Amino acid sequence: MLNTGQMNPPDNALPNAAQDILDTANRLRWEVGNSAHEKIVETIYTDAARIADRAVVYPDTPPRFNLDRTIDHLVTSRIWGFPLMILLFTLVFWITIVGANYPSAFLSWLLLDEVYPLLKEGSAFIGLPWWLDGLLLDGMYLATAWVIAVMLPPMAIFFPLFTLLEDFGYLPRVAFNLDNIFKKSGAHGKQSLSMMMGFGCNAAGVVSTRVIDSPRERLIAIITNNFALCNGRWPTQILIATLFVGALVPAYLGGIISALAVVGVAMLGVLMSFAVSWSLSRTWLKGEASTFSLELPPYRPPRFWQTIYTSLIDRTIYVLWRAIVFALPAGAAIWLIANITIGGTSLAAYMVNFLNPLGLIFGLNGVILLAYVVAIPANEIVIPTVLMLTVLMTGASQYGAGAGVMFEASHQETMTLLQAGGWTLLTAVNLMLFSLLHNPCSTTIYTIYKETGSRRWTTVAALLPLVMGFAVTFIVAQVWRLFSLMG
Amino acid sequence: MITVTERILSEDVLKHIYKCEGDGRRATLDSIAGVLQINQDEASTLVSKMAAHDLLQLQGEEFHLTEAGQNYALQVIRAHRLWERYLADETGFDEAQWHTQAEHHEHHLSPDEIEALSARLGHPTHDPHGDPIPSANGQYMPHGGQPLTSLEPGQYARVVHIEDEPPIVYAQLVAEGLYPDIELRLKEISAERVQFFVGETEHLLAPIVARNISVRPLSPEEVTELTPAEPLSSLKIGETAQVVRLSPACRGPERRRFMDLGILPGTVIKAEMVSPSGDPTAYLIRRSLIGLRKEQADQIYITRDVVSNRP
Amino acid sequence: MTTSVKIPAGHNCATCPAHNLGNLTKLGINMENWDYVVALAGNPNTGKSTIFNALTGLRQHTGNWPGKTVTRAEGGFEFGGHRYKIVDLPGTYSLLSTSLDEEVARNFILFGQPDVTIIVADATRLERNLNLVLQVLEITDRAVVALNLMDEARRHGITVDERSLARDLGVPVIPTAARSRQGVPELLQAVNDVATGEYVCKPHRIKNEPPALKSAIRALVEQLEIAFPGLPNVRWVALRLLDGDQRIIEAVKRGELGDLTRDDPGQTNGDLVLQLQEVQHA
Repeated sequence: MLNTGQMNPPDNALPNAAQDILDTANRLRWEVGNSAHEKIVETIYTDAARIADRAVVYPDTPPRFNLDRTIDHLVTSRIWGFPLMILLFTLVFWITIVGANYPSAFLSWLLLDEVYPLLKEGSAFIGLPWWLDGLLLDGMYLATAWVIAVMLPPMAIFFPLFTLLEDFGYLPRVAFNLDNIFKKSGAHGKQSLSMMMGFGCNAAGVVSTRVIDSPRERLIAIITNNFALCNGRWPTQILIATLFVGALVPAYLGGIISALAVVGVAMLGVLMSFAVSWSLSRTWLKGEASTFSLELPPYRPPRFWQTIYTSLIDRTIYVLWRAIVFALPAGAAIWLIANITIGGTSLAAYMVNFLNPLGLIFGLNGVILLAYVVAIPANEIVIPTVLMLTVLMTGASQYGAGAGVMFEASHQETMTLLQAGGWTLLTAVNLMLFSLLHNPCSTTIYTIYKETGSRRWTTVAALLPLVMGFAVTFIVAQVWRLFSLMG
Repeated sequence: MITVTERILSEDVLKHIYKCEGDGRRATLDSIAGVLQINQDEASTLVSKMAAHDLLQLQGEEFHLTEAGQNYALQVIRAHRLWERYLADETGFDEAQWHTQAEHHEHHLSPDEIEALSARLGHPTHDPHGDPIPSANGQYMPHGGQPLTSLEPGQYARVVHIEDEPPIVYAQLVAEGLYPDIELRLKEISAERVQFFVGETEHLLAPIVARNISVRPLSPEEVTELTPAEPLSSLKIGETAQVVRLSPACRGPERRRFMDLGILPGTVIKAEMVSPSGDPTAYLIRRSLIGLRKEQADQIYITRDVVSNRP
Repeated sequence: MTTSVKIPAGHNCATCPAHNLGNLTKLGINMENWDYVVALAGNPNTGKSTIFNALTGLRQHTGNWPGKTVTRAEGGFEFGGHRYKIVDLPGTYSLLSTSLDEEVARNFILFGQPDVTIIVADATRLERNLNLVLQVLEITDRAVVALNLMDEARRHGITVDERSLARDLGVPVIPTAARSRQGVPELLQAVNDVATGEYVCKPHRIKNEPPALKSAIRALVEQLEIAFPGLPNVRWVALRLLDGDQRIIEAVKRGELGDLTRDDPGQTNGDLVLQLQEVQHA
């Protein structure tokens, strides 16, 4: 009732001594006032200074050459700061992309061309029923093998390189250089680091926001990490840009134009990240606490092998493990929807036909939408799933290995197949946009939930990019159609 | 049962009577209706309901709180002031919004939520205006200040409280950059105006406005802000200075963070380098290089007369 | 004098482990197969993880603190016939500011009562690092300071007199350069000495508080000593109560502080008398 609703009766359950102590503390806090904390800290520092003074002797004259400061003045210089930074990160990405090709090709040869046929033979030998063979090998094994082959090599190169820069002490300087830009969108300079990590893997990017100690800025960094185009989405971007955008210009320009298109999409992601940070910090997160602190530690030569070892264990294996855990059920789901038939038509076909009108409004199609629904565990398997579903829908059975079996084909074959599936330049452009702007993969969503501990922010982080993706593709599709009508 | 609106109105009545009792004013049906912006009939229905709950009683024309009513009023005030403290320490809302937001939240916090809030804030004893926050069992210690207008010319004092009502006057005091814990020196006082200095800055206020500032006079030894000081952000690259104090406007986690980094009165700081994008600046503090944004460096006051040369 | 002289490991046995098994289990530390537990504290960027690696080698694994998104690394080593479990606490500047990292580190030292806490300090920036060292010494009286990055200090021409430091802090101070494993054997020896009770720490306790604070602490300490006799860090608990620290308030309410007391009656009374005498002479 009214007069008891707000009352706070003394805690009778407490033992008297405890209650007495707390009462005394309360009374004394009134006497000491709010400055107790400051007085305590000052006292500790006074003692610390006195003890340090007695024990430490500093050189009378500071050394003429201070290596740390020299490096610092170079990497944060007005002229050299940004060019050096761009150069260094271009190098890191270049080594990652080029270096990953070989192990990736090897893994995919090993897992798809060698082990997969062996497994199929083995299963035929022990006489597994066709559905179990399909579910286990064509579904679960292939999806997982795909994820490992595409995901593992770039991460195994990118994360150690990044960790080396971190251990050397360079990354805090990057945050220092970029902070002003991030500050303008209500974010923390260290978000540049989690963003960069996100280009490798969004789940790892979300974990790396732990270095941001201000709750508001950390939440912003987590929610916007998905706008960093991750390792699983680069291959999609590159393939589609090569096939459709590169084909618009003479062959000798094709490479550079398609590369620019991909970089353009990645840049759009960075811009989106700033825009969303800006609006979040002014709306939903307006009231959240915000503090800034950035220590620039001394430079230290990184311990090479130690770094390689720990970054492999801590980051690469961790992310890979989670991806595998999510890829297994996805592989099963993909195989099942392609093979469960009702009245002679597969479940997948029903779903594609159902989603198709919706997809067309956004300049996409039903196959793409379904691929994004079932491939939520990992962006890596979107294209193989799209190809498999397109074969299923067009009946172009000369491609691929049957219903529910994901595959990759040569550029020419892929192009022919996609065109048979009704793809236009608009479909390609919107797929690139949608690949950038859609919900994070399930590994990342799960990681966001673990890091924020909040269903609400996980939902926001999952749905916000999806809504933006639909909005952007819708606008592009409508404008496109308007212009083609006029043209 | 009572409705939410009734709960809000009755809590406002309790606060009104509590304030009147504290200030020696009379709480009447008129004044209640006026403060709550309701008509006399509504007011009278409300107070009779409250009287039935044994929260208040009528003595002649005047309303007074019963013990239960007084306890209740203190809990509402506690919720209000804690919420203001929370907004000041842990959120990005600016001071003009604190009071209005607290006016709303004071009616919607359950006792458990109030306790959790107090715990989270480290059980603060004062709100950001300098008002004491009553404890869970209703105890508090008044700020014990006197009006600024009662000082003698030339006298030093520390601001202990700034009245946040009426909002127009409060907004003016906020705009002047005045808040609890700053030190000031009264220069002149006349019927038209009150002239005083905070550091080097001169302030002119009408006496009716200045009366909303409560101060505690300081003896000359107690004055810490005598040393002329400038913000750390004014330090140029390569220059060295010594911290004099942290601005009282720097509160909560930010203040604690500064102290953890060793930014305390007496600390020697050198401006080392500035980001190529213009902000933040890196300072050498107790041999560590710390990047601080300009708004942060604005809250640290320094003097260039370095006493100790310890790097 | 304000340091309280007392023999730690109050389970009537100088060499027995002093850690709090019940609380450690609550904190997610499994002590099966281990004799002693060592906590590793220190500021960020002091080479704390290098020390951790130097002590454990590859015998380590990382995870999270129960219910927190704070990384925890655990490892182990053997020395002098004893098996030590080592827990890497989050790197913090302080234990007073209620950030998640600090809470985790603080709670582990306070409630887990590790047999030894190694505090890694950066020799090139000793003053700021001592801020944390002194705070840890307020909570535990079983600590070893690893004065790390000595190589870097030498390069900068900084000399640190570790004996003067050890005298002032009242705990062993071992100069190390963990990167090149310098000082690691000595560190292991010092940890062993403190864990087995061969070395008895007389940790520095903060003095020179302003008078108002001092009398408030005195009043609270008196009450706490009666309610929780033998509490090893009563002054620090009093300070935290004055600072409105909710976790400590809860510990008082739930009687958790009672679990932290060293149950050697003779010893505690002596301690109390000593504390009261100090207060009267202050």
